[in-house]
Amino acid sequence: MANTPINRLIEAFHRLPGIGPKSAQRFAYYVLRAPEEEARDLADALIEVKRSVVLCQRCQNLTDKNPCWICLDESRNRTIICVVEEPLDVQAIERSGGFNGLYHVLHGVISPSDGVGPEELKISELLIRIRDIDKEIIEIIVATNPNLEGEATSMYLAKLLQPLDLSVTRLARGLPAGADLEYADDVTLGRALEYRQKV
Amino acid sequence: MPSRIPRVTKTVAIVLKSRRLGDADRIITLLTPFRGKIDVIAKGLLRPRSKMAGHLEPLTMTEVLLAHGRTMDLVTQAQSVETFAVLHNDLQHLSTAMYLLELTDRLTVEHADATEIYEILERSLRALAREDGIQLVTRRFELDLLTVTGFRPELDRCLETGEPVAADEAFWTHRGGGVISSDALANYPEARKIDSHVLRVLRAYQSLSYEEASRIRIDPDLAGRLEQVMHEFVRTQAERDLKSAEFVEESRRVSLGVDAESDA
Ligand SMILES: [Zn+2]
Repeated sequence: MANTPINRLIEAFHRLPGIGPKSAQRFAYYVLRAPEEEARDLADALIEVKRSVVLCQRCQNLTDKNPCWICLDESRNRTIICVVEEPLDVQAIERSGGFNGLYHVLHGVISPSDGVGPEELKISELLIRIRDIDKEIIEIIVATNPNLEGEATSMYLAKLLQPLDLSVTRLARGLPAGADLEYADDVTLGRALEYRQKV
Repeated sequence: MPSRIPRVTKTVAIVLKSRRLGDADRIITLLTPFRGKIDVIAKGLLRPRSKMAGHLEPLTMTEVLLAHGRTMDLVTQAQSVETFAVLHNDLQHLSTAMYLLELTDRLTVEHADATEIYEILERSLRALAREDGIQLVTRRFELDLLTVTGFRPELDRCLETGEPVAADEAFWTHRGGGVISSDALANYPEARKIDSHVLRVLRAYQSLSYEEASRIRIDPDLAGRLEQVMHEFVRTQAERDLKSAEFVEESRRVSLGVDAESDA
């Protein structure tokens, strides 16, 4: 493809997650036909988000205020940190309304096949934070996804944090809402039985 | 035009890895006995009601139904045969399993018969799940896999002269692919002395039966040295860093710090 402005724009859209070549073309031609003001708004929003959104120095979540509002909120339970893979996970847990403690975002998960090991994640930041900043922490909830990478990450964190004398827990595993027993795999079904509850 | 019925194949497979494709789909890398390593598409896997999700996780042995696709086959059904659940209970076992998967992925090419490789991987994962020693399982796995992929390390005879080399006089070259005697040093400037304990254990692992090899006691210190030599060798043959090898080493480090147990 020739390196023309329109092709550069198509390629830029194509790099976005979940955007195929057809959608990228549609976006590009939409921008081309739109008033210049609309294009400028889009460009400004893109630059602004890169300029003003930073990682919170404590929890590593995305924020435009540093430390972020969650880390500064005195009404939250400051003895417990929920460790998640991505900023979107913080939003999901906040929406659930089931948690009022602090967060720590790892920005990924241990995944050797993608070239990601512990040192690529915000793990040393978590250790420093527990040791030097949030000294009242007594529990760490590891809320990584229940897949191979998420489990490797949670087990690694549990071992790493063990000498710090904290309670390290992880999210209960079991069947997702709306699931069918018939189609559950052995690991999930086994866990659901293991962590059964009184009704 | 005659309507073409899509070709469907059923095969057992071990899931090596999986990566996201769009919002809900995944590309799954499978190792199958007869079609070798293949990438297939699984649709809707990230949706909570997916019927296949748990059956296509890496480190699962699964029976899949594949519909022939234009570029990649599509998984239409998956039923796990073996999930190696006990490997999910211990960090060192899990990181070792991840290493076996990554090494298999790196040393195999797509669409080539992989019957032997499949057998080696299945056998090794089962042994790991039976709690056979991690060193025994991993080193045997590496030696077997390297042999069938054409990278078998020469542990007994000098690469240059072909003469037997005594363990305490042997030098080791990753690039050359095995041991040399001091006479051959001029041609292998990168070679260095190999720990004779490490070499004796590797020789035993390469030549003895699995049962005989399993009687060798390995203390944690020797385990670390064995691992170091083989990881470096494997990195050289795979021509790249293996992130899972680093993770195995790091998992050993944090685990030993905590429970100081031998894994042999
Ligand atoms: Zn924060």
